[in-house]
Amino acid sequence: MSGITSLLLSFLREAWIALAGAFLAFAMLAAIAQVLRVSSASVLGANLWVWQAVSALVSIIVLGLFAFLGIPEIMRSVQSSFPTAGGCGPIGELGTLASALIGGLAALRMLKAMFASMFSASIGGSSTFANALIECGEAIFGMILASAAVPLAAYFLGTC
Amino acid sequence: MFDAIMEQILVIARDAWAFMAGLLIVVALLGGLYYILQGTAGAAFGASRMTSTAIIGVIGLVIVVLFAFLFLPQIAEMLKSFQPKPPF
Repeated sequence: MSGITSLLLSFLREAWIALAGAFLAFAMLAAIAQVLRVSSASVLGANLWVWQAVSALVSIIVLGLFAFLGIPEIMRSVQSSFPTAGGCGPIGELGTLASALIGGLAALRMLKAMFASMFSASIGGSSTFANALIECGEAIFGMILASAAVPLAAYFLGTC
Repeated sequence: MFDAIMEQILVIARDAWAFMAGLLIVVALLGGLYYILQGTAGAAFGASRMTSTAIIGVIGLVIVVLFAFLFLPQIAEMLKSFQPKPPF
């Protein structure tokens, strides 16, 4: 079981690294798109468009900082309160596998939400930051629910 | 496992960056030409405000282009240094 856990976690870790790299690339594309918008709007004399682009640029930087600094800290704090094993035997091993997988999937889901938000900003759409935050909240809430469910399942199915 | 996909994404992103940078230069040059035309026209018939607006516009364009080509790579380096390891 531990071999399967480590295999799945290594898969998720590689996905995290690839997603973080793609996030950075798209963040820079979104930033230069907004700078292009600033320059063209200032040539046209469209003041409102300039300020929209400047605020979008600031929001892209804030989004990047949140994704790279905020999400790992949130994940560490939630995972530290997550029960790794609620029982013994196969149920305990399953609990360990489930908690590790839930943590990895929730972290990936939060980063994916940020990536979707940044991708939409890079192609000129609205940055949908609110949707990304809602998805992050759902992931955290799911982890909290699972942290209650794993010990309960261990208690009913396989306590020592 | 994801290296091949990542390479493809990075190739597309590099192409898009080069395209955007080229487009920014073209827009800035066109804008600069427009402001120079505006400035010379203003200077020709004595419209000092028009000329000064054109000069300020050229300076603003230069600042925007410098911001794009100097500040954005620094921001990218900063974000790259913050790029987190998997927290699980």
